[in-house]
Amino acid sequence: MKIDIVTPLGRVFEGEIKEATFPGIEGEFGVLDGHAPLVTTLNPGLITIKKSDGKEEIIAINWGYVEVTPEHINVLVDSAVPVAGSSESEIAEAIEKAKQLIKDASDSDALVATVEAKIESAARAL
Amino acid sequence: MATLKELKSKINSVKNTQKTTRAMKLVSTAKLKRAEEALLMSREYARKIDEVIKEISAKLASVKESINLRAFAHIPEHKKVDMIVVTADKGLCGGFNIQTIKATLAKIEELKNQKVKIRLRVIGKKAVEYFKFVGIEMYEEIISLSSAPDYKKAAEVIEKSYADFVNEEIDNIILIYNGYVNKLTQKVHTKALLPVEVDTEAKDEFLEVEPSDDYETILESLVKKYLEYTMYYTLLDSLAGEHSARMQAMDAATNNAQEMVKQLTLEYNKVRQENVTRELIEIVTAIEAMKKK
Repeated sequence: MKIDIVTPLGRVFEGEIKEATFPGIEGEFGVLDGHAPLVTTLNPGLITIKKSDGKEEIIAINWGYVEVTPEHINVLVDSAVPVAGSSESEIAEAIEKAKQLIKDASDSDALVATVEAKIESAARAL
Repeated sequence: MATLKELKSKINSVKNTQKTTRAMKLVSTAKLKRAEEALLMSREYARKIDEVIKEISAKLASVKESINLRAFAHIPEHKKVDMIVVTADKGLCGGFNIQTIKATLAKIEELKNQKVKIRLRVIGKKAVEYFKFVGIEMYEEIISLSSAPDYKKAAEVIEKSYADFVNEEIDNIILIYNGYVNKLTQKVHTKALLPVEVDTEAKDEFLEVEPSDDYETILESLVKKYLEYTMYYTLLDSLAGEHSARMQAMDAATNNAQEMVKQLTLEYNKVRQENVTRELIEIVTAIEAMKKK
């Protein structure tokens, strides 16, 4: 299925994917091909995307909407930071930015800590 | 016949004008670049939110009656509408503003024939001045927003309309503006924003909204976001259009000035040559006359 993640400052990610996980307002949820139509808001957190080639991509977001149809997913977020980079220093910088984004967006320390831990572990996988 | 001195000063004045128009063109080119960048960045989001809201509306079609949101309801008869017109604050940009104003007048006429009342909310000094001049009543005048688009201020403008829409004071919001297509073209857009109605067949599809016990809140916030962003994007689009129109107008003005300088120089040379010839004739005639004596 296709996914399209856009922010007011441009497109963050677009492409064919196998699976995606979102920080929904009622808890984390995963979307696979043929998912029932759904609209919900997103909490600050991480979107995990499994691309068709099996590689994972992680994007930190602060707040947004997601619209799921059986064929595609549209994600409208206020601000997003992809946790990725071609060198170690780039990745480190992206992690810092992602952490800051979550911190600014959320007032729950527990959430910030969980997300930070997730970012760290995801970054190790990179 | 103009004297040499007069022509000379005319040429100089045209040359000065040319300098100004050329400078204005350069300024517009630089400003256009910035406006264009801002526009391109937000274009994806604007398109996407438009797409999402229409998809949702199509899917909700089958359950429209049960939804307590006016934004997705079907309103059979429009009695009063808000018309938001966006023009530039400054002139000197060719037909940019007047195109929008003409489109607005046509729309007003059309709605009047349908006996729909209109509340005109005008953004941009040029349109405000025009409507004041012709004596068309405006509900709200907003100046200095179109030359410096700001998300918060744009949201405030549309928020008021939306609140009245929810209170059933108005039945639709119509947006008229001149948008940027490319560096050489602008296009006047007339958009009806509310209620969100789609041209395509209503899909009888199931749509889950989470949290399900409070889906109206999320749909409403999505509609608000849609309106705010559309308004903001409109301002960006209009600003980019304004700069591209001004760039073109100033380019044309510079070329016209060039042409005029050419014409005037030609005339200047003609007059000068005529003077020389006349003087020569006078001298020669004088000599001839003296010889005869």
